[in-house]
Amino acid sequence: MTSRRGFLASLLAASAAPRLGWAAVGSPTYLAAAQLPGGAYVLCGLDQAGGETFQVALPARGHAGAGHPSRAEAVVFARRPGYFALVIDVATGRVIHELVPPEGHQFNGHGIYIDGGATLVTVEQMAEGSAGRIGLWDVASGYTRIDGFASHGIGPHDARLMPDGRTLVVANGGIETDAQDRTKLNLATMRPNLAYLGPGGDLLDMVELDADLRQNSIRHLAVRSDGLVGFAMQWEGEPDMGWPLLGLHRMGQPPLLAEAPLADELAMRGYAGSAAFSVDESEIAITSPRGGRLHRFATDGRFIAAETRADICGIAPHPEGFIASDGLGGMITIGPDGARPMARHDCAWDNHIVAL
Amino acid sequence: MRFALAFVLAATLATPSQAGVAEALDDHILPGFASFAAASADLEAAARSDCTAPALAASFHDAFDAWLVVGDLRLGPSETGALSIAFWPDTRGFTEKTLASLIGAQNPIVDDPEAFAELSIAGRGLFALEMLLFDPDYSDYGTEDYRCALAQALASDLARQAAALSQGWSESFASVLLSAGADGNARFLSEEEAVRAIYTQILSALQFTTDSRIARPMGSFERPRPIRAEARRSGRSLTNVLASTQAAVDLAEALADWPLPETRAALGRVQEAAEAIEDPAFGDVDNPAARFRLEVLQQKVAAVTTAIEAEIGAPLGLSAGFNAQDGD
Repeated sequence: MTSRRGFLASLLAASAAPRLGWAAVGSPTYLAAAQLPGGAYVLCGLDQAGGETFQVALPARGHAGAGHPSRAEAVVFARRPGYFALVIDVATGRVIHELVPPEGHQFNGHGIYIDGGATLVTVEQMAEGSAGRIGLWDVASGYTRIDGFASHGIGPHDARLMPDGRTLVVANGGIETDAQDRTKLNLATMRPNLAYLGPGGDLLDMVELDADLRQNSIRHLAVRSDGLVGFAMQWEGEPDMGWPLLGLHRMGQPPLLAEAPLADELAMRGYAGSAAFSVDESEIAITSPRGGRLHRFATDGRFIAAETRADICGIAPHPEGFIASDGLGGMITIGPDGARPMARHDCAWDNHIVAL
Repeated sequence: MRFALAFVLAATLATPSQAGVAEALDDHILPGFASFAAASADLEAAARSDCTAPALAASFHDAFDAWLVVGDLRLGPSETGALSIAFWPDTRGFTEKTLASLIGAQNPIVDDPEAFAELSIAGRGLFALEMLLFDPDYSDYGTEDYRCALAQALASDLARQAAALSQGWSESFASVLLSAGADGNARFLSEEEAVRAIYTQILSALQFTTDSRIARPMGSFERPRPIRAEARRSGRSLTNVLASTQAAVDLAEALADWPLPETRAALGRVQEAAEAIEDPAFGDVDNPAARFRLEVLQQKVAAVTTAIEAEIGAPLGLSAGFNAQDGD
């Protein structure tokens, strides 16, 4: 039973004065989570020069966040298995909503705002069995759960909106994890896929790779404005196989694997942690914190070059081409002529840079 | 002893970034690559005068010994360059496939050094040579055989690679490390990052020894995998474990400006454990007692890692990568 005080408080939260836009927090271009030297976790706004526009505290290490398209508001997901997500008013640093997945569900990585920020999409799995789910939340009513549907795979990790503004593309990583922790349960039989879902969750297309690559978990996505999808993978089979870690796909067509020379591929240690298209969309890059390197490919799958940077993981488009972050606090740009240092912060940047 | 150690470490705390990148280069890495280049040139010369397998064994071992001083580095020119010199583990069997295909076709690529350098990395370097020189399926060849020309081509290609790697380190990458933090250096944004890079290489090398050189042939108790031992054909599996562990410790000592008594002692225990190993190619690992001795060796190498973490990592405040160790 809702108390009168609670009722009034919830009314207040829902109808609070219009939230501030991103200009109020220094007009950041990117969001990135980090760990400070003392061990505290923060969410930062970054400008194009890699400078910090705001910093707000996080109660724990988060995984990927997402920024609301207009309001200075970000959602940060708990690390897997995710029992909560926090919506943070970055102007005040206050947690304004705590999202809890439905009973038996766990957040499993990423989330995105769609419909101009009216809806939040969350990537989830069932705690038991890791069947993938997509959750939809209504932002205006204070992030209330409005719908959910199957992701058509096991252990989804990332999802993006296609350029049509309606279709979702989901990276179903294929890995079943223990209900309580991140122990992987099905590596011998895993079968990841890339799934395209309509607004109601109907399956529009699905890609599975050849059986040889069955243990290449499809985990992170980048979408080009013409609908070309890049998917970054993490190899869960025997090490030192040197399989490709990036695929390119268009709905309705067969996937294309982007392969680097064998020595480069092996140096990635079977792990790609993030993917992004360059600012002019002529290139796509993947990062490997394990290999401490970044691979650039043309969008026809041709390998262009590798860049080396310890613990590199976050990557996003930047006027120079790409911006990349790493666990040593570095921010570098990567252009046609290679890498250039840009900024160094006294923190460890977490896995992803989210472009706003 | 422990008290003295604590004192020495404390004295260095004030200036951690002064750990010796220059010393690591000058005392260990650069001379290591120069020696390997010289040993590879000797191997090439030996192959020119007598290409047969028995005649080349000694020069092959000398080159491999020289390689192990710097062979586990995966930094700068070695990041990918090391793989075309030492392509192992070969999980997909590429080395044998490449050699068999060259021999089957009597591929004239052996007469074209530039084309040979474009061959699959799995078909080049020490492990391709090892298969040719030590595998009974390949090693029984005379001077008129295609395999003679192949051995010469492999030795020449190795010598060329070794010279290029040595040059890449001394003339290019050393200055990238030494200019850490300077304008335009996107690789190392501070001096501390260069120290960290070498420190990380030391730990990765030791991990490669425990997780690959030793763990691969050990397999599981139910299913030991002796044919997965590194350089088993030339009987070097144990030699490689010892030499690479020694190299890691030597590099650690060059990097640190202070003594590493625990690390040194841990290395001594690795050498003691190695004396108990009966088959230097780990071919007896399906015998439980032999497997246990290998497991002891693995633990002793892991203890070197622990000692280096305590004696270098802790005082410098270095730990494993924030993203690299974690996954998404």
